[in-house]
Amino acid sequence: MASDDSLPTLKILLIGPSGAGKSALLTRYCDDEFDPESSAATIGIDFKIKNLAVRGKAYRLTLFDTAGQERFRTLSTSFYRGAHGVLLVYDISSRASFKTMERWFTEAEANTVQGVALYLVGSKLDKAEHSREVSYEEAQALAREHNASFCEASAKTCENVRRPFVDIVDRIVLTPGLLAAARAGRASGTLAVGASGGAGTDGYLSGCAC
Amino acid sequence: MDFSSELSDTLWDVVICGTGLPQSLLALSLSRSGKNILHIDPNDYYGSAEAAFSLQEADDWVARHSTTAASSTSVFKSASITKPENVVGLSFPRAYTLALAPQLIHARSELLSQLVSSRAYRQVEFLAVGSFFVFKPSSSPSLAPTLVRIPSTREDVFSTTAISAKAKRGLMKFLKFVVDYNSSPQTESWHPYADVPLVDFLREHFKMDAELQTYIITLTLSLDGRISTKDGLATIHRHLSSMGMLGPNFAAVYPKWGGISEIAQVSCRAGAVGGAVYMLGNGIKEMTVGENEISLELTSGDKVRTRRLFRGEGTGGDETGIGRLVAIISSPLKSLFEPTIEGAPKPGVAVIAFPTGSLASAGEADIDCPIYVLAHSSDTGECPIGQSVLYLTTLSSSDSKNTLHRALESMLIALDGEQQRPESLYHLYYEQAGSSMRSQQEDLIFGFPPPSLSLSFDDATLGPVREAWNVVMGEAGVGTDYMAFPDREGYVDDDEMYD
Repeated sequence: MASDDSLPTLKILLIGPSGAGKSALLTRYCDDEFDPESSAATIGIDFKIKNLAVRGKAYRLTLFDTAGQERFRTLSTSFYRGAHGVLLVYDISSRASFKTMERWFTEAEANTVQGVALYLVGSKLDKAEHSREVSYEEAQALAREHNASFCEASAKTCENVRRPFVDIVDRIVLTPGLLAAARAGRASGTLAVGASGGAGTDGYLSGCAC
Repeated sequence: MDFSSELSDTLWDVVICGTGLPQSLLALSLSRSGKNILHIDPNDYYGSAEAAFSLQEADDWVARHSTTAASSTSVFKSASITKPENVVGLSFPRAYTLALAPQLIHARSELLSQLVSSRAYRQVEFLAVGSFFVFKPSSSPSLAPTLVRIPSTREDVFSTTAISAKAKRGLMKFLKFVVDYNSSPQTESWHPYADVPLVDFLREHFKMDAELQTYIITLTLSLDGRISTKDGLATIHRHLSSMGMLGPNFAAVYPKWGGISEIAQVSCRAGAVGGAVYMLGNGIKEMTVGENEISLELTSGDKVRTRRLFRGEGTGGDETGIGRLVAIISSPLKSLFEPTIEGAPKPGVAVIAFPTGSLASAGEADIDCPIYVLAHSSDTGECPIGQSVLYLTTLSSSDSKNTLHRALESMLIALDGEQQRPESLYHLYYEQAGSSMRSQQEDLIFGFPPPSLSLSFDDATLGPVREAWNVVMGEAGVGTDYMAFPDREGYVDDDEMYD
């Protein structure tokens, strides 16, 4: 089996307002864990890695959380660089949460390559029965406006948790040119700075006899 | 959620103001310290004086820095944008990322070691800085000026046709000398020249002709061309000992998407991952310094309390500054970015120097200090494919804007002959004040000096960051590795199958 480093790597971001449940979704999907008490901003997680095979081909997903930088909307342009897909997460039990999504779409579209896979996720589906504030149809319409896919999910009950991740990968690999566009530059001259032993020199100082 | 009350209810260990490189590296260095950190910036973008902008952001920035008067709050002034008429080809604003203060980073720079040991380098893409060229004015009015490539390796020195056999021997002799210039007997020959310009030493001791002197001075990127022998030899030694360290035939690297700006953003992200709270577009309005804590009122109206404050220290701008001209060019300028030996990475950056006295023209004074051009290909992500960005710099004078424009035109003439005639589509001019200020610490407030004007990253920038880290960590820092962290990666799960 091929080593993980040789798998095509997809960069997928989870963005959306604080408290929407981005980290809960990520933790449930990657670790199959759910902590109902954990509502604090995520600390110490840069990104999570998950291997996933779609259409018979394996991919390595790097899933980036906002690291709290969504609170005052201070996500940097560098955070968005090279993203193949973006999951935009809101809380179906919070109207206020949904109302920010237009701005999150705008930010995601402005900072990513053309054709990036966008996916709107309504989280906390377990609350649908008693405290739903955003209808499925309304969110679906917003997703359509932005050419995004859409589903609702619950990290608590596990319902639909895998679906947005699997679907967005499917969409990325089916979008011609997206893998190449988001990777642009990797192929042309990007250096392995960290891998170097850094021992030798060439050029003027090397041992060529003269 | 009420973040305002979280801000005011917390007694912060550290408030950092500004997101330039030193402040951002401080956030990175403290990202595993467990300290309570609030990181703010009065600007609504990351990077402070080292930011990188889309054309839209550049418009907004120019509107705030167009004044010609020196300012106490900004190192920039006299900013203006011009777009030549009847020229088409400029893409949409976000297709560009223009760096305010682009710098090369030598392979041996401590900055790279720290980015690697702190694991922040994983989110930065580095490109090779390739060839260095010298602008050579035409010898007759009927001929175009040329760009002469400075040979970068021994093989290069031998195969070049640009210099005479005698000059080659002189060059090799000097390069061998620099390898261990700091040991005897080399020291005896240069110590008497230590504080005089390197050109004098090259001329008198090595009998170099003016052209060869120019090559050596160009490699130092000395802004006034008068770098001292002591500093010049150190700079050349850094260049030569960096050569080949990270790959064949290059000595320096450049981070894609705006250079230092990208490192600042990635460092802030590391700070956020470690739990720091980030606010942009929010500065300090009022400040009361008590015995053990500082009370701040932010421009947002939020009131916060902190044990320590770290910030940039104004401008100090009584020193000579520089004029900068950023030009977007309608051509990829391919001849500047060719790897010169097989197996070398494709460079994304080239350096072109106009030596002192190389820009004579009718009715205009010649230049009395060099002009340097950092040429960036579209691989840097700073412009669309098919275009390039030129960053011109010279010591500022009453005429520097005009001088830089003349250099730009001359350079485009020298580069004509590409498939598509290169034209400039967009010009951004501004002046940046210099400073010899050092870091300052008074009571609970620590001030970082303004950024260096150097065109290559100066490791002296890192000293104050380490000092600041020591201040925060106190005794807890003793015996703790600085900027050395394990990876934060999540684990790799088994493959899942899906059809």
